[in-house]
Amino acid sequence: MREDIRRIQELMEREGYVTDRAVATSVYLATTLGKPLLVEGHPGVGKTDIAKVLARVLDAELIRLQCYEGLDANTALYEWNYPKQLLHIKLDERSERPVGQREADIFSESFLLKRPLLQAITHQGRAVLLIDEVDRADEEFEAFLLEVLSDFQVSIPEVGTVRAKTRPAVVLTSNRSRDLSDALRRRCLYLWIDYPTLEKELRIVRSRVPGLSEKLALQLTTFMQSMRKLKLSKTPGVAESLDWAAALVALHADTLDAGLVQETLGCFLKDEADLRALSSRLAEGELAALSSPL
Amino acid sequence: MAPPRTTADLVLRTTEFCRLLREHGLLATPGDTVDAARALGLVDVTDRADFHDALRAVLVHRAEDLRAFEECFLAFWGAAHAAPSAWVRRNTPAVPKKEPPLSLDRWAEGGGEDEEEREEAMLPSPSDLESLRRQDFSSFPDEALRDVTRVARHIARRLALRRSRRWEPARDGARPNLRRTLRLSVKTGGELSELAFRKRKVRRTKLVVLADVSGSMELYARLFLQFLFALQHSFARVETFVFSTRLSRITEQLKSRDYAQALAELSAGVTDWNGGTRIGESLKAFVEGWPRLLDRHTIVIVLSDGWETGDPVVLGEALASMRRRAARLVWLNPLLGSPDYEPLTQGMVVALPHLDVFAPAHDLQSLAQLGRHLAL
Repeated sequence: MREDIRRIQELMEREGYVTDRAVATSVYLATTLGKPLLVEGHPGVGKTDIAKVLARVLDAELIRLQCYEGLDANTALYEWNYPKQLLHIKLDERSERPVGQREADIFSESFLLKRPLLQAITHQGRAVLLIDEVDRADEEFEAFLLEVLSDFQVSIPEVGTVRAKTRPAVVLTSNRSRDLSDALRRRCLYLWIDYPTLEKELRIVRSRVPGLSEKLALQLTTFMQSMRKLKLSKTPGVAESLDWAAALVALHADTLDAGLVQETLGCFLKDEADLRALSSRLAEGELAALSSPL
Repeated sequence: MAPPRTTADLVLRTTEFCRLLREHGLLATPGDTVDAARALGLVDVTDRADFHDALRAVLVHRAEDLRAFEECFLAFWGAAHAAPSAWVRRNTPAVPKKEPPLSLDRWAEGGGEDEEEREEAMLPSPSDLESLRRQDFSSFPDEALRDVTRVARHIARRLALRRSRRWEPARDGARPNLRRTLRLSVKTGGELSELAFRKRKVRRTKLVVLADVSGSMELYARLFLQFLFALQHSFARVETFVFSTRLSRITEQLKSRDYAQALAELSAGVTDWNGGTRIGESLKAFVEGWPRLLDRHTIVIVLSDGWETGDPVVLGEALASMRRRAARLVWLNPLLGSPDYEPLTQGMVVALPHLDVFAPAHDLQSLAQLGRHLAL
């Protein structure tokens, strides 16, 4: 394995992100080739965390743009600070300076409200730009994003063109609620994160919830792995495993049995029908084998 | 370890590999080939896993392509590479299949802007479909399935977020709302101290589809399911239900990436396929069970032939209630495509007064025209 990739994996793990070499390779290539990394996968498998941990590994500022339906360029890029401008005009009323100069004042950078994309472009030093849940924004925004991602420059009519001195590393995440355009996909390196294997999940739980006993960690991950094989309407991810593990630590639990699972179901099942289905199976002792002491 | 150089030979082989990927439906653009060559310069190409991971990171752009990539990789570079990831193993059927006939998992293929513009023109003409119309849809050719997908995407695009020409006051608006700003300034003696903003109203059309899958609709169920599957994947704000004697919500099942898998989940979850028809009871169950799905931004589409075996009064009441609360009520009846059909069944007679749109849905052409009724 290339030394750099091993180092990236090591650094990511040191920051508490348990990963494998395929992920490390993607992250390494994305940062080295200077391409955005598009991360897809089921909810709760740690897509967003990649950006967070990458920022820590690169010792860079994390700038996050959370996407939502109706997100537009103004909210993502910049906005003039109108109240501040007005106030400035008032304060400047009696000044003798020419109008042109006064106008230049209020359209200078200190009156600019930088939204995440502009922040990322103008950031001094290294930055990681996280564009979270890009599938929730609409197609028009996607097209706009494509434009920004290809040049890393924007033109603001009153200020001129702003260009990034250092290009930020870009991570996009998508929950696949909508298919992204081919144009956007082509621009990015692609990374699919699957549910972790038992061994990997165990490592994640151990590293993130250190208070959990060895035995309980193994029981919990085994149980969660089997949970994902069931037909649930909301399959629990790693995030749910971690929530549950934290809850079990708080309860000072030392072994997983049907009763305990029943009491803490809400930590990892977030759908009413799933809750009902699983609790009846638990009551019938069907899942007893899953939680038998290992 | 000295950084391994990408030799000319390896670049050539990589180019050939990209061509193979293209033949198997991956994007693998010339730009990707260049990136692949650059990526191989950055990893240890003598390490099988590095080599594989690097090519995969650069050349795969969607999860659906992972399987094809792994197959091509094996075929092209030989079998000695690291085991495929768990996801690929789990999602690769034991019997290799090139393109499962039922699969719409490449529904998003192609998709350049040009193609999208030509979309309407490329729809099969009614005469092409005349022969298909009365034919069992289980023998619907694969090209036609792609057309179903294209129609669904087209409709989804029409429904996608649109800015209205109207303005509304908004705290996070982009434009100043002068009228309101001046009014606010009155309390400070004409000083503009507080700014009001406005923004364009967003039309947020939502869709609820209720599809009849009873015995009499069997002929069309396959086409509709394809259509609903494609629609669910192109448009986030759609809720889908099927009914014959009972109502089942299938939105989640349709979200499966693979059509075959969605079908499997559907047949496991919905028990009364091709049963009798209790349209009224089913619609009533919808009105009572999911009251929050109906609002003035929602278009309700009922797909049914109107062969009601239940109480028509219940049907009338359910439709009246839906009509009151939804923005529009559309009834698509496949039988309407036949020239000698008259909507005289008891169910249809009761339903008609409540409908905003009553339209045929027996072929692709009629589905394509559906878009016209969906702009609020």
